[in-house]
Amino acid sequence: MTSWSPLLALFLVIPLVGAVLTPVVSDSSGRRSWGWAVFIMSVTSAMSVSLIVRVLEEGPFSYVIGGWVAPYGIELRFDEFSASVAIVCLLGLLAIVFSRHYAPQALTPERIPYYYTLLLLNLTGMLGFIVTGDLFNLYVFTEILSLSAYALVAISGEKTAEMAAFKYLVMGAVSSLSILFGVGLLYALTGSLNMADVTSRLAGTAHAPLVMAFAALTLGFMVKAALFPLHIWLPDAHAIAPSPVSAVLSGLVVKIGILGMLRVYQMAYGSGAIDLSGLNLTLTWLGAISIVMGAFFAVFQDDIKMMLAYSTISNIGYIVMGLGLASSYSLIGASVHVFNHALIKATLFLGAGALIHQTGQRTLTGLAGIGRSMPFTTAAISIGAISIVGIPPTAGFLCKWYIALGALEAGEPIFAVALVFGALLIFIYYIRMVNAFYFRKPQDAGAPAVHEAPLTMLVPVLILAALCLIMGILGRLPLSFIEPAVTRLLTPLGGG
Amino acid sequence: MIEALWNNLDYAASVILFCIGLYAVITRNNLIKKFMGLNIMETAVFAFIVALGVVENGDAPIMGDGASAPFINPLPQALILTGIVVAVSTTALALSLVIRIWRQCGTIEADELREAE
Repeated sequence: MTSWSPLLALFLVIPLVGAVLTPVVSDSSGRRSWGWAVFIMSVTSAMSVSLIVRVLEEGPFSYVIGGWVAPYGIELRFDEFSASVAIVCLLGLLAIVFSRHYAPQALTPERIPYYYTLLLLNLTGMLGFIVTGDLFNLYVFTEILSLSAYALVAISGEKTAEMAAFKYLVMGAVSSLSILFGVGLLYALTGSLNMADVTSRLAGTAHAPLVMAFAALTLGFMVKAALFPLHIWLPDAHAIAPSPVSAVLSGLVVKIGILGMLRVYQMAYGSGAIDLSGLNLTLTWLGAISIVMGAFFAVFQDDIKMMLAYSTISNIGYIVMGLGLASSYSLIGASVHVFNHALIKATLFLGAGALIHQTGQRTLTGLAGIGRSMPFTTAAISIGAISIVGIPPTAGFLCKWYIALGALEAGEPIFAVALVFGALLIFIYYIRMVNAFYFRKPQDAGAPAVHEAPLTMLVPVLILAALCLIMGILGRLPLSFIEPAVTRLLTPLGGG
Repeated sequence: MIEALWNNLDYAASVILFCIGLYAVITRNNLIKKFMGLNIMETAVFAFIVALGVVENGDAPIMGDGASAPFINPLPQALILTGIVVAVSTTALALSLVIRIWRQCGTIEADELREAE
């Protein structure tokens, strides 16, 4: 059953068709479109499990659309890195479940079906981005997920949301063009768009255009990943979007930039045609600056979602620094942090969404003392906070440990210092948050009693918080999965 | 240097067009003008990729009477057709956002919007 290869194509077709059909199956209350979206995402998740089982049993495999043999046809490829579809499916499903009570409050009723359409399209874009083996398709899926993300930021219809979305759109469109330009250059150099084929043809091509192609691709993905100094669109967009959308954007969409860099670097390392050490050094420094700067700005935020948004910039810094150091430890740490940060940030954003939904407050001052009336949600957020600081035995510890080891392995202890300094700043602002929840008195005693969030909100948050703990305790599991992929990444083609 | 530039005039033109677009995106205050700059950048990249497929004295790659090699590479044109579709949808989304911003704030100048915020 697991070896039926069109499953890989169906894996993209089902959420795509499901997204388009959502407004058709919807009723006036939007309840049915929720059920439909949950159904589509559950089917997709089940398929992702089957695909991952297959990659574990047989190793990487591919499917050629329309029967045109690669490199002429469009290839879909599933390898160990593609296992990140699991986290996309999981977070997507939980965010959709969470939206059941959140969406009617945050959106006008006629927008609810379109909200689910856009969310499903966004997830399809990410799944497609991860499994495609074709450079131009990489661009197309980037655009699918970016366009739906711009619209999702604006969907609440508030003035600030639309302005944030426009800012996001302009920067995102420029970065997409940069990616397209890079793809075009690679096509000009190699005459092929299939990534494996491009890798094998890169050796011996002209050096200057090759550097330009990789620089254009990296620049494009840097904007998508919101790396300093190209992060300015992120805080507004992520803080103003509806909370489930923030969770998806912050947990997954910015990671697409990282995965894009990983895939591009896979080609560069694989061909051995280009020396990336200059680019790597730049990335490492930008990553280190992102860590400190994101954490620094987060300390001064009172709006809880704004704080989480700045914390995303800081965490992207960790991942990019790990990529830039390019030692095996740091690459492993960075890859694992892509997964773990997605879990942690989704816990935090969905938890924050539950608080905002129940209280109508989004500042730390307004949420003071909330731990007494919403104990489960705040407990989950606290677990998320501990994880993101990186205190063992939670999920955040392992990745940061590996990235720090990688910095030492690469002989650059200064970056390990930046990492620890960033972690300290992060510690400060999450302590502020936990302190506000548990140890400060509620602002006005006369306010109506706040109740714990409904089950469709609480269950996703609790599942994610539990996963933060489990991923910390079973840390070897993702490591054993990612290590062979990283080793292959660092080995030139034909070398092993 | 000059000769190399002359031989690759099409590439040089798209680079110049790209820079004009980027300049407009960064410096213009009006949101629509910003977006027009973006459209110029899009055109530049599209022109660059279509120019990749050109073969000197090439024929349109259509089979039939009188078709003779060499042919122009049709793949970049097919790619850019998709690219244009993407660009159109980006433009549509951006313009609808601009309309909504104008309705709510009464202005589409970036500096006035920043003051209103």
